Amino acid sequence: MTSLQTATPPQPSPPTPAASARGLLRTYGQGDTLVTALRGVDLDLPSGRFTAIMGPSGSGKSTLMHCLAGLDQPTEGSISVAGQSLEGMSDDALTRFRRDHVGFVFQAFNLLPMLTAEQNIWLPTELAGRPRPALQDRFDHVVETLGLTGRLTHRPSELSGGQQQRVAIARALLTGPAIVFADEPTGNLDSTSSAEVLSLLRGSVRELGQTVVMVTHELDAAAYADDVVVLADGLVTHHLAAPSRDALVAALAERAA
Amino acid sequence: MRTVLLASLRTHTRRYGAALLAIVVGVVFIVVTAALSSAVRTGLTAGLSAPYDGADAVLDQPSTEDAVRLVASAPAADADAWLVGWTLQQVAHDGRVVRSSTDIGQVPDRPDHQWQELEEGRFPAAAGEALVDVNAAKVAKLEVGDTLRIGSGPAGLDVEVVGLADSPSAFSVASVYLLWSDLSRWADSLYVSSVAWAGPGGGGEAATAIREVVPAAEVLSVDRFVQRVQTEVNQGVDVVAIIVLVFAAIALLVAVLVINNTFTILFAQRSRDFALLRCVGATRRQVVRSVRAESLVLGVLASVIGVAGGLGLGHGLVALIRSQWPGARLGEASVSAGWILAATAVGLGVTMVAAWLPTRRVLAVSPLAALRPDDSTQVRTRTGRVRIALGAAMVLAGAAGLAVAIATAAPPALVAGGATAFVGVLLLGPVLVPAMIRSAGRVAARALGPAGRLAAGNAVRNPRRTAATAASLLIGVTLTTAVLTGMASSRTALSAEMDEQHPIDIALTGADTIPADAVERIAAVDGVDGTTTVIGASAEVSGLDPIPVIAAPGEAADGVVHSPLPAPGRRQVLLPWDVLGDGVEVGDMVTVTVGERRVRLRVAGGEGWGTAALVSNATLERLAPTARVQAVWVRAEEGADAEDLAGSLEAIAVPLDAGLENGLARRSYVDQQLDVLTGGVVGLLAISVVIALVGIANTLGLSVLERGREHALLRALGLTRRQLRRMLATEAVLLAGVATVVGTGLGTVFAWAGVQALVVPAIDGAGLVLPWAQLGLVVVAAAAAGLVAAVLPARRASRIAPAAGLAVE
Ligand SMILES: Nc1ncnc2c1ncn2[C@@H]1O[C@H](COP(=O)(O)OP(=O)(O)OP(=O)(O)O)[C@@H](O)[C@H]1O
Ligand SMILES: [Mg+2]
Repeated sequence: MTSLQTATPPQPSPPTPAASARGLLRTYGQGDTLVTALRGVDLDLPSGRFTAIMGPSGSGKSTLMHCLAGLDQPTEGSISVAGQSLEGMSDDALTRFRRDHVGFVFQAFNLLPMLTAEQNIWLPTELAGRPRPALQDRFDHVVETLGLTGRLTHRPSELSGGQQQRVAIARALLTGPAIVFADEPTGNLDSTSSAEVLSLLRGSVRELGQTVVMVTHELDAAAYADDVVVLADGLVTHHLAAPSRDALVAALAERAA
Repeated sequence: MRTVLLASLRTHTRRYGAALLAIVVGVVFIVVTAALSSAVRTGLTAGLSAPYDGADAVLDQPSTEDAVRLVASAPAADADAWLVGWTLQQVAHDGRVVRSSTDIGQVPDRPDHQWQELEEGRFPAAAGEALVDVNAAKVAKLEVGDTLRIGSGPAGLDVEVVGLADSPSAFSVASVYLLWSDLSRWADSLYVSSVAWAGPGGGGEAATAIREVVPAAEVLSVDRFVQRVQTEVNQGVDVVAIIVLVFAAIALLVAVLVINNTFTILFAQRSRDFALLRCVGATRRQVVRSVRAESLVLGVLASVIGVAGGLGLGHGLVALIRSQWPGARLGEASVSAGWILAATAVGLGVTMVAAWLPTRRVLAVSPLAALRPDDSTQVRTRTGRVRIALGAAMVLAGAAGLAVAIATAAPPALVAGGATAFVGVLLLGPVLVPAMIRSAGRVAARALGPAGRLAAGNAVRNPRRTAATAASLLIGVTLTTAVLTGMASSRTALSAEMDEQHPIDIALTGADTIPADAVERIAAVDGVDGTTTVIGASAEVSGLDPIPVIAAPGEAADGVVHSPLPAPGRRQVLLPWDVLGDGVEVGDMVTVTVGERRVRLRVAGGEGWGTAALVSNATLERLAPTARVQAVWVRAEEGADAEDLAGSLEAIAVPLDAGLENGLARRSYVDQQLDVLTGGVVGLLAISVVIALVGIANTLGLSVLERGREHALLRALGLTRRQLRRMLATEAVLLAGVATVVGTGLGTVFAWAGVQALVVPAIDGAGLVLPWAQLGLVVVAAAAAGLVAAVLPARRASRIAPAAGLAVE
């Protein structure tokens, strides 16, 4: 199965990946309580594609995503996203980098409870102090595509879980970031809402050329992705391009074997 | 449940920190009050009987006349009588005024009755010798051998300091003691607290002998007298202690709000824990009991720390005052077990009361809540209509009460009306405060961008919590504003009254004509704003000692006098009150003689122009056609020091044998009293303001914990650390600012009602005066304090890495 790791994707991959990591090491605690969440991850995430990161619980998926997104600093190793190296960036620089180049969708608690859906969608733009009018057309388009038109004045507590995730996706897509990270975006949703959210994510890749990286546990969710990265025990064991369900199951089962 | 209780105490202790601090401050307040009042009490009652050692009987608070007659008559009865009393005179040393009103007392003639405790030198043995209080000497840097000039002008007396002494009792202390032969010249202006009598025949005969001179006298034995004073002291100290405890009660009320808020927030955050406990089989009672036990532990801990801290602070403070300011005459501090118990009980009680409602809410948590998604950050309590209606009704009722108070000048109606209206405002808080924050937030959003907008949103997210936090600050700010404004209004009203009583800052009245060069020198003295010369002549008024006669300068004195002097009629002479009384009374006809000329005039009384007879210009013309400068009236610069100015003028006056009347000193004395009163009250209120600020920091700190994920999300989406800190600081400032603005508004309204009800009836022409600078300071200080309160929570929040914050469950 090791040959699959280097399998080339069907389309030729663009010259610069949307995000790449080299020798990524991340440890927590020290001494007796030392936990190594990532033990030397090398990874390139191609641009304009929908990549799923899979792996057993505790394998380091969230940690990897946080490092790639500039939310967390790796203990060792280098990361570059959208052609920029994150190494040595100050907290402020990282923050500015995130609001300019990265979008997020989390499993839960995506929205600020005191803001309306519309305010939540505009939040990153506002934090960056960018003028709104330039993005107004895109906003209208995204909101319409995501079917949120009638919900813009509602607060998160007045929205269903699926609607909340759609608002989060709208927020992530509005600024046209270089890469969108989603950590188990469907973890809290029923299957219908899940399917909806996943197709929206996939649609953003197909129609808007967006790069999306999604952490997930579910095989069904991974089926929407173009590529699948399999993580086990802090290492990338497979990087599969458009894997079949069987290939995926096999890759996931491998470690257990 | 014990494991649960212990575990939750362990995990949540830090979150109880602020609540703990609030109770501790309240308890410390009570214990320190007890310590100080005990020290004052022992200080005041120490050595009460010493000045009366050897006396057979005591006359309590006789009239000055009776006292003087009694002392004077003693030698004839083969007895000794001495008085404990004072006259206030200017004391100068080396031409420098030591103090323009110094208390001068008596040292008994007979060595066995000289009760002062000699520390240096010897007791006075002859006229012209003085004993000086050892503390007063230290402050004024006086030594044995110095010469003092007591009083001013012709009546002044030069004495030599022959000894330094302490007073055994606070009730007999004077700064300077003279023998009766010297003191008697001021007999008319003595304030006498008591006269001691030691006769040849003991108690019974003493009473008879005293009654021979003062027929209706109530003669007491020394023991009875001491007992009576002791009771009075105790009552006095009790009254003061009770007043201070009222402020402690206010501070504790604020503490209740802070603790209540802490519990409410903590329990809201933990409602899922409670629900989980219920799910796994804890009964409702078990959960509530465990939560109540938590508050009990908090109360006990706070009371113990508070009592220990209070004892330490109280004893330390008393020891400090005793060593640094022995003149304050504090005794040993001793806090009785009763006080300690009471303070502990109050600390415990306050905690339990404050925890009661929030714990009742815990009762309502259903096991199902554990299964619902976490929505603790989305609490939106609705304000009940009942609450709004009740609040509005109370505001109206309170306003009616205030109206009644103004109409009838009744203090109880004022207090009741004010309190009712205030509680009404507090009830309306959850509607009022968020609305105000929203409008203030618009300004903040414009100034600070997204951080400001988010802050405004956060501040109003939980209206009830916001209102409770604001309420705690509102109490202190409202009362402070009311006190400051009330004081400023009374002060302005009083100052108008002072203008009438003391129209002249300093009047320098010569026994003879004042030469022109002296007038120039006076005008050149530092701190003199303007002068006017007053013409007159040396005169004789029948029945009185020689006294200059002067005519008021009329318009020439504008700008020098604070208010016009009374204008005597053509057949009238105005004499100072303190020369009247002995033989010459108001309404008498007197002959005023200048040289060979004389007129008959009717006497009227007045004061404020020094020791001189005031007549109309026409009368002076008749008496002394060639009248020359007899007096110089001085207007001091704004803020000039009364003592310094009097000192410089005294140096000019002494060689001229001229006397000073220092209206400025009396004026500054009243000002100083008001300053001390205002400062004291504001200082006591400051304690509750501090507790409220601890409360704001606390609410913010707990909210920050609660919003950990939210902050992480914001940081993920691009909020910088600075913006996050700014957001939290803005939230605190909005909260503090709105509370302060509402508080200043309310306080001003209450002060207005108070001035209308209490000051206007007492002083003509009084009205509301807003001390803008002070009020501005209150607002700025509160907003700044809000900023400070946000520092710690904001730092903690911004330190957390976004990834770590996202992991918080
Ligand atoms: N803050 C932390 N402190 C200590 N250890 C941590 C911390 N965060 C993560 N870990 C450890 O790092 C490892 C990887 O964690 P991570 O959250 O990345 O796993 P995951 O693959 O996302 O798991 P899941 O599928 O359950 O979300 C785990 O062993 C975890 O215990
Ligand atoms: Mg994870």
